[in-house]
Amino acid sequence: MLKATLKSLMTHKLRLAMTALSIVLGVSFVAGTYVLSDTLNATFTNLFTDVYAGVDVNIRGAQEFESFEFDERPTLPESLLEEVRAVDGVLDAEGSVEGSAAFVDKDGEAIIPQGPPTIGFSWSGTGEEPTNPVKLREGGPPTSPTDVVMDANTAEEFDFEVGDQVGVIVEGPVREFTVSGIVGFGDADNLAGATLAVFELETAQELFDKVGVLDTIDVIAEDGVTQGELQDRIVAAIGTEYDVSTGTQITNETTDQIQEGLGFFSIALLVFAAIALFVGSFIIANTFSIIVAQRTRELALLRAIGASRRQVMSSILIEATITGLVASAIGVGVGILVAIGLQNLLAAFDVDLPTGSLVIGPKAIVIPMVVGTLVTVIASISPARRATKVPPVAAMREGFTVPVTAGRRRLIAGTIALILGIAVLLLGLFGGGDDAASLVGLGAFLIFIGVAAMAPVIAGPLARGIGSPFARYLKIPGRLARDNSVRNPKRTSSTAAALMIGVALVGFITIFASSIKASQTELIEGTTNFDLIVQGQGFEGFPAAVEDAANEIPEIGAAAGFRSGPSRIEGQTVGIQGVDVGAAAEVLNFDMVAGSLAAAEDDGLLVSEPEAEAQGWTVGDTIEMHFQASPPREEEIKGIYERNPLAGNYIMALPDFQDAYTEQNIQLLLIQTSDGLSPSVARAAVEAGLEGFPSVEIEDQEEFLESSAAAVDQLLGLVTALLGLALIIAFIGIVNTLALSIFERTREIGLLRAIGMSRGQVRRMIRWEAVIVAILGAVLGLVIGAFFGWAMIMALADEGISVLEIPYLTLISYVIIAGIAGVGAAVFPARRASKVDVLRAVTVE
Amino acid sequence: MTTGQTATPEHFAASASGLQKTFGEGPAAVQALRGVDIDFRAGEFTAIMGPSGSGKSTLMHCLAGLDKPSAGKVFIDGIDLTSLKDKALTELRRDNVGFVFQAFNLLPSMSAEDNIMLPLSIAGRKPEDAWFDRVIDTIGLRDRLSHRPSELSGGQQQRVAAARALMSRPAIVFADEPTGNLDSNSSTEVLGFLKASVKDMGQTIVMVTHDPKAASYADRVVFLADGHIVDQMEAPTPDGILERMKHLEV
Ligand SMILES: Nc1ncnc2c1ncn2[C@@H]1O[C@H](COP(=O)(O)OP(=O)(O)OP(=O)(O)O)[C@@H](O)[C@H]1O
Ligand SMILES: [Mg+2]
Repeated sequence: MLKATLKSLMTHKLRLAMTALSIVLGVSFVAGTYVLSDTLNATFTNLFTDVYAGVDVNIRGAQEFESFEFDERPTLPESLLEEVRAVDGVLDAEGSVEGSAAFVDKDGEAIIPQGPPTIGFSWSGTGEEPTNPVKLREGGPPTSPTDVVMDANTAEEFDFEVGDQVGVIVEGPVREFTVSGIVGFGDADNLAGATLAVFELETAQELFDKVGVLDTIDVIAEDGVTQGELQDRIVAAIGTEYDVSTGTQITNETTDQIQEGLGFFSIALLVFAAIALFVGSFIIANTFSIIVAQRTRELALLRAIGASRRQVMSSILIEATITGLVASAIGVGVGILVAIGLQNLLAAFDVDLPTGSLVIGPKAIVIPMVVGTLVTVIASISPARRATKVPPVAAMREGFTVPVTAGRRRLIAGTIALILGIAVLLLGLFGGGDDAASLVGLGAFLIFIGVAAMAPVIAGPLARGIGSPFARYLKIPGRLARDNSVRNPKRTSSTAAALMIGVALVGFITIFASSIKASQTELIEGTTNFDLIVQGQGFEGFPAAVEDAANEIPEIGAAAGFRSGPSRIEGQTVGIQGVDVGAAAEVLNFDMVAGSLAAAEDDGLLVSEPEAEAQGWTVGDTIEMHFQASPPREEEIKGIYERNPLAGNYIMALPDFQDAYTEQNIQLLLIQTSDGLSPSVARAAVEAGLEGFPSVEIEDQEEFLESSAAAVDQLLGLVTALLGLALIIAFIGIVNTLALSIFERTREIGLLRAIGMSRGQVRRMIRWEAVIVAILGAVLGLVIGAFFGWAMIMALADEGISVLEIPYLTLISYVIIAGIAGVGAAVFPARRASKVDVLRAVTVE
Repeated sequence: MTTGQTATPEHFAASASGLQKTFGEGPAAVQALRGVDIDFRAGEFTAIMGPSGSGKSTLMHCLAGLDKPSAGKVFIDGIDLTSLKDKALTELRRDNVGFVFQAFNLLPSMSAEDNIMLPLSIAGRKPEDAWFDRVIDTIGLRDRLSHRPSELSGGQQQRVAAARALMSRPAIVFADEPTGNLDSNSSTEVLGFLKASVKDMGQTIVMVTHDPKAASYADRVVFLADGHIVDQMEAPTPDGILERMKHLEV
């Protein structure tokens, strides 16, 4: 029996190759993701192990709570340094401070990477080998108040050399420095894309407004004193008020954070890989069904000569296992190439990642192998079961076909899966909770399964409908294409279902993205009142000095700078905005539900209505707020406002915010220009007034909406590109199904050729069939995608995404693109069909 | 036109001269036709008989433009097939030739009527109503036109196939064992129809058969053996054919 299976595999190499291709692609994505994340993990771990190699103990201010987005700590008094140095076993201890500092390039433009921060800090120690994680490449450490050391990447990219003048933006306007040295971050040119500016300690303290204090103290142990011993002695000497960690602990902490971040990244990629494999499983199931149908007589013959049902079933499953194993092994190989490709793809979307030699761990081989093989075997179970239903007599009968499983049962099972899927999806969307994302995923999965199961029932009429213009206007090839697509609804529908999944997701993302854009426009236009908006280029915002400078401009009516920071309220970390409430009232349209805005001018808190409702607060309540780097405060609620997207949920009076946070960078500065000024004059005045701050960008409302829309589109592009694999696999499915069914229809095509159908007509017949199947898949997909989009927008109405915008033209263009892709998918099968030997139809086997 | 020939090919619905067909090469080569000269007059019903493997089907395929002869010439309706490219040959089959095969004549997904119309649909032509009615009446399946092939008996299916072959008014119809899979009642149906189409509509038909009774419907029987024409018989009777075959098959 095994021999028969192997023989069947070898005699159908092409078929095997096409089936395998869909698995290879999905598996390679999985393997590629693992290789990429292992590689990045190893790169960062090596980097930080290296970087902290010289530090035995590290002292920082103790954080009240941790936050993924923010990391603010209380500072250390400079006097602590002497206390630490006096501890027995300390060879040396050096303090340093840090902050944000951006370079200005030779054209006067701020150098701000997309995403990574602009890090500034002090050179700790006096020698060439600082305790902080940089290594000198050229020049020397900063030795005067105008010296700065630059990272090698910035130096190379922007053409700076030791001795060059360079502008640096810290708190205030641009200041001039001299490049005294060029450093790497450990062995890397920079820290994962961040720029590094290193100053003398006193200079840095002055720049970052940290005179007399330190952010960290790095301690080096004397020989023979372990990190743990030294840690204990230091804690004994300075008390538990501070965070005292060993070098190993700090390395682990940093690498853990990075791994957590990379974890999200690889989960995101694995989701796309899972989608690709899910689509691939349809192709596999379909191929094996066709194989079983084509081998009916052969299987019957095996049964007639005494093979048991079990043997027939296992022969199919063994074929699937071998196919799965071979394809998965190839997939792992391709995956390594994919890892390189993904790096490039992300780089194309400005997500720069450090490069290192590829790490191929056991996980990257075992998991994709197991997953790929399992998916193949599971997908072939149903066809294998059908194979066991072939009765031995079928060997004797011409044209026997295995009866298709009861339509009613499929319909019921499909409906149940669909309803269940919708319920789970809506529960995930509206129920909230921690596993909302998994519920949504499971719901979508069930919906796809349900529709795919029901598809054979609806595919017939639908394909007939879609095919009718083909039948009417495209003569006999169109007519035959329509008939062929309707003839085997199960096959047509499972081919189309594979495409349906990809199109549904692309359609959903498209609807979601345009709804976000439309909602943004509506909200910004409805709830704001600003003329110009000032933003930083990175995530860190820009110095508060920009707000002061803006307020000096005579053409300005009001300028409100929004700072933000984390706070723990009622045990939950929330974002707090700090703003001059008087100015904020000018640039935003606040609708007060209770209390008044003006009451929070000097102190207190303003809360949004949904948040106040959720917490059960009213005006006059006092709530306890905790901060990362300062003591807890009691704040009184002075007012409750209707939801406003730019205001967020909490606004703290500016004086209070300045007390509670050391970080005062502004994220958004909204400006209202004086009444009666023409926009261009006002804008020119603001641009002139902020000329000293090259790190900020000034946009009017329209430009702001455009650039927000562009950001949404960029994400849409990235997601669509990642879904591209699932779409490609779906089209391979169309190629595969058509090629196999042409094999099945050899005699029919021969007959058509014999009675006068030209090769061209045969090609067109196959082409239109592919187009009908592709359009069917696209239409089904868009219906589901529209449902997903609708459900998502309904669920997010509270988050400010309240406009459901369906971009009909784009969606219709997807159907047209699917049809064109169908033409492409048909090229190879159509060529094969047109070459069918005419005599094959005529000669009786 | 070579002077040695007694009649020009234009006088015949189809004709072949010096027809040879070899399958394969070298020592394994099989000579299926070893020089066949044959003419089919318009409006004549010819049966071709011969032992299995004698080259009957090969002759039909070469005559009908389904296969290329290794040597010799074939004319249909005065057109020299050996000079035609695939496209022209396909069009010739579509417009000038009709076929009835032993099995698998009909597209399973189409109704009987659509199958009958298929050659015209492929050509993008409209049927002439009068001709359509006449053909349908002759096959006598007017009430079955909307049925799928799977809903028709074997004999009915072959009659539908024959109707399809006649629909485009071809110069000649080739039928390769059209009754090979049928019982005697169904055979009679099909043969009766073929005969009627020759008699009433002036159709030219060439039919391969192993059955002397079927051959007796023809105006003439041609005997083939080992790739040669070995005998002919006008106005045949079943007994006469049987007698003749006894001599041939020694
Ligand atoms: N495609 C082919 N390749 C090789 N040999 C072939 C091919 N087709 C036919 N032959 C050989 O040519 C010879 C004539 O075959 P043909 O099918 O014409 O016989 P036939 O008279 O129709 O026989 P039957 O009565 O069994 O149908 C046979 O020896 C056959 O084996
Ligand atoms: Mg034959």
